[in-house]
Amino acid sequence: MNLKSKEYFIRETAKSIRRNGVMSLASISTVAVSLLVLGMFVLLFLNTSNLAKYLESQVEMTVYMEDTATGPELARVKEKIEKLDGVVKVTEVTKAQAMSRFKERLGDQASLLNALGEDNPFPYSFEIQVDRPERIRDLVPVVNGMEKVETAKFGQEVVEHLFSLTKVLRIGGVVLIIFLSLATLFIISNTIRLTVFARRKEVIIMKYVGATDWFIRWPFLLEGMALGFGGGLIACVFVDLVYHGLMARIYATLAFFPLLPATPTLYYVDIFILLCGTFIGALGSYLSLKKFLKV
Amino acid sequence: MLDMKDVCKTYPGGNVALRDVNVHIDPGEFVFIVGPSGAGKSTFIKMLLREVLPTSGSIEVNGKDIVSMDLKQVPYLRRQLGIIFQDYRLLPDRTVYENVAFAMQVIETPYYKIRRRVMRVLDLVGLHRRAQAYPNELSGGEQQRIAIARAIVNEPRLVIADEPTGNLDPETSREIMEIFTAINEGGTTIIMATHDKDIVDSMAKRVIAIERGQIVRDEQNGVYGYES
Repeated sequence: MNLKSKEYFIRETAKSIRRNGVMSLASISTVAVSLLVLGMFVLLFLNTSNLAKYLESQVEMTVYMEDTATGPELARVKEKIEKLDGVVKVTEVTKAQAMSRFKERLGDQASLLNALGEDNPFPYSFEIQVDRPERIRDLVPVVNGMEKVETAKFGQEVVEHLFSLTKVLRIGGVVLIIFLSLATLFIISNTIRLTVFARRKEVIIMKYVGATDWFIRWPFLLEGMALGFGGGLIACVFVDLVYHGLMARIYATLAFFPLLPATPTLYYVDIFILLCGTFIGALGSYLSLKKFLKV
Repeated sequence: MLDMKDVCKTYPGGNVALRDVNVHIDPGEFVFIVGPSGAGKSTFIKMLLREVLPTSGSIEVNGKDIVSMDLKQVPYLRRQLGIIFQDYRLLPDRTVYENVAFAMQVIETPYYKIRRRVMRVLDLVGLHRRAQAYPNELSGGEQQRIAIARAIVNEPRLVIADEPTGNLDPETSREIMEIFTAINEGGTTIIMATHDKDIVDSMAKRVIAIERGQIVRDEQNGVYGYES
């Protein structure tokens, strides 16, 4: 391909987009809407994954010690636990601390505890945070085997449910994104098929005068890419606006909700949308042209 | 220029379009292909363009076996051919000049050559003054002349015309035939499928008649031979 041909391709592409003004506009809007939906979904998916990860990181194990454990024994156990693989942090909760926590949780009804008199039924305990929540299940029996440990446990059922829920969310999200991408491809290639169809005569004539397939394809591919990229840009603007709007609203009412920050998340999503638009535009052109090149 | 040996074509579904076709055409010849509608003329033309492959037999165009030809080579084959259709097939959104230049652009001819050559060819078909007009501003005869200009702009050695006067009145048809004669006199081989009795009879060139897929007549200084 020589330089003149490149000029020709670019000029043809620009001419074609201008000539088919209404069609081009229709393609760009379709691409924009499809990519907007895809982009919003990707953001939703990223945030759900993030939420799942956040919830998982909240999972910890509690080790209750026997009341007979002495100070040095407690210190030894703590040291042993800290040396275990994957343990990030060990927090001691003394009997008194456990009691006051419970009181706090009871709030107005804290007076119920008066019935206990001077007795403190709460055991001395350690709260253990691990780097990966899946590790907890393996750590429990190890810790249970240590001296003076009454029991080590984690919210087994809750955690297992949480794991299966986040797994479903992740797999479902990936499947949906693939599905949405295919739908976007289908919509975009159909739109581009219309522009190609409008120019099928030109393609046939090009074939008859001896243009190679790639020579015919380039302007259409560039056009598809330009339309895809243009639609992607519009989608990016809307995705960014919507996300910023949502963030402002959610922070106002649900401040603890772990939303992903706009930068760099939107940055990546925008790049994804633009790449997706450009690639799908080119692929759509390629597929739509196939039929007409068989002359 | 053209050599067809024992060419048969059966379309999927068992429709026999051509059988045992043997044709040899020398460079510089002017040949009419005649015959009733559906006799196989279109298939014959499409085979020369390598749009349709024969079921059996061999075809050589310009000394090249086009049956076994790689699909990638087809564009280069077509660059040696000029093709003209009954319905002109011009691009309505391009000027006369652009329509003709288009054929040179797609085979990546340098720009300075395009301009000179296009104006010369438009001059040859008598339309250089309409270079900036659009096809729909022109008469049928003028549009066909542009199509001819486009077909010969790359200096093909073989021009294939499928019913080029099919949509034109007798007077205009004669004008078009004058252009073809001039092209032929320049040494270009011309193969023309036609239903136009007057033209075939008045030109007295070689005539090949196809009926039901077979060549039934092949004579020099031939006549149309059917009721028009």
